[in-house]
Amino acid sequence: MKITKTQNGNSLYLALEGRLDTNTAPELEASIKGSIDGVEELTINMESLDYLSSAGLRVLLGAQKIMNKQGSMRVTHVNDTIMEIFEVTGFADILTIEKA
Amino acid sequence: MITEKHEARGACAGENMNTSIISIRHLCKEFLNVTPLKDVSVEIKKGEVISIIGPSGTGKSTLLRCINLLETPTKGEIVVDGVVTTDKKCKVNLVRQKMGMVFQSFNLFAHKTIIENIMMGQVDLLKRNRQEAYDKGMELLRNIGLADKAFSYPDELSGGQKQRAAIARTVAMEPEIILFDEPTSALDPTMVGEVLSVIRGLAGQGMTMMIVTHEMKFARDVSTRIFYMDQGEIYEDGTPEQIFEHPKRERTRIFIRQLKVLHVEKISRDFDFPAFMTRLEEFGRKQQFSQRQIYAMQLVVEEVLMQKLLPAAGEAEERDLSLDVEYSERENLAQMRFSYNGPSFYPFGEEEDLSGRMIKGMSKAMEHKFVDGMNHFIISI
Repeated sequence: MKITKTQNGNSLYLALEGRLDTNTAPELEASIKGSIDGVEELTINMESLDYLSSAGLRVLLGAQKIMNKQGSMRVTHVNDTIMEIFEVTGFADILTIEKA
Repeated sequence: MITEKHEARGACAGENMNTSIISIRHLCKEFLNVTPLKDVSVEIKKGEVISIIGPSGTGKSTLLRCINLLETPTKGEIVVDGVVTTDKKCKVNLVRQKMGMVFQSFNLFAHKTIIENIMMGQVDLLKRNRQEAYDKGMELLRNIGLADKAFSYPDELSGGQKQRAAIARTVAMEPEIILFDEPTSALDPTMVGEVLSVIRGLAGQGMTMMIVTHEMKFARDVSTRIFYMDQGEIYEDGTPEQIFEHPKRERTRIFIRQLKVLHVEKISRDFDFPAFMTRLEEFGRKQQFSQRQIYAMQLVVEEVLMQKLLPAAGEAEERDLSLDVEYSERENLAQMRFSYNGPSFYPFGEEEDLSGRMIKGMSKAMEHKFVDGMNHFIISI
């Protein structure tokens, strides 16, 4: 997976590319943890994300919990298959999602 | 030209009464160290669409190349539309005009535009004038959605577009038979469909075709007859239904079963997970699963193996864990069966967690059985 990170003041923008799975989720987790201090707006762009499993969902949930305390988080450009994952797991109700 | 054609027939004919468009008798091809064709005898009728399937290196391509005289048979006889092509006096070029061939690697002339590629044979061999050849070429390109690429060079096209153009070039020669030698093997998987759909269209128009292919679902859908080749012979010859559903002979049965089942055993914590994800994707593509089905299969493997079974196995020795993925065409269902020893263990216990919710949401059915010390956990997608 490729993570492109853009930080602008208190906004953090992450673009994910490839597969967010058991193997790659720790990478995203580390990337978020390393930059989230003081962030008030977190945007995760999933336009080029092909695959998302429960390991990835746990990282998103962790990020959402942090952002609930210090600002807001959006997940954007979500395709139909990944949207289905958010729906069957109930994540569609927890996260702020913008479809592709 | 026409006179020559008659001469050619006269020169080496004598088979005009035959109703088959191609008759092959005791065909044998030997190379120095290998004999790809041992003894092939078969009759091919006009309008038949024959897919030739079988393991690699069993003579499939050699058979096509002998029919088109790209290889000289060692022994045996081939008769194409009444002309004995294996006769030394036979005029090869005239026979080849009856037969087009589409190659794995397209074989387009790189220094000529697509329309020039399609016009060349028509002008040089069929003696059409350039306008006629151009009109015919454009009509064919329009039919396959490539009219806007007529003045592009092959290198400016994708693999799928190049192969479609190569097929148009073959069709422009108005052959009676088209031979396809693995027409989609060199293509990126995303481009296979567009090429198969052009071939499917030709089959629908009654063209006689022989197709060497590894695309089994396509072979099954489009063919009137299947040759299963193995060890240099047509080991089994039948309708798609016979070959794919009720193969009679042992080696055919093994081959067909392997196509439908992906089997992995001795899965341990050292299991190469990313490589297996790629294998699953390839298997799914071959079965022409939808993208969602492929996603769901990968998700099942990841959630069940990586989140549940492998962590639960802990350090236990003697763990015997295997997975079979099988596709049932009739129900359009992929069935994934995890088999593992040890005490009875249902991966998604009473309390439904994230993995459990995902798998339930993405699958059609789940079943757990515990028989003779083995767990069988079956998920249908």
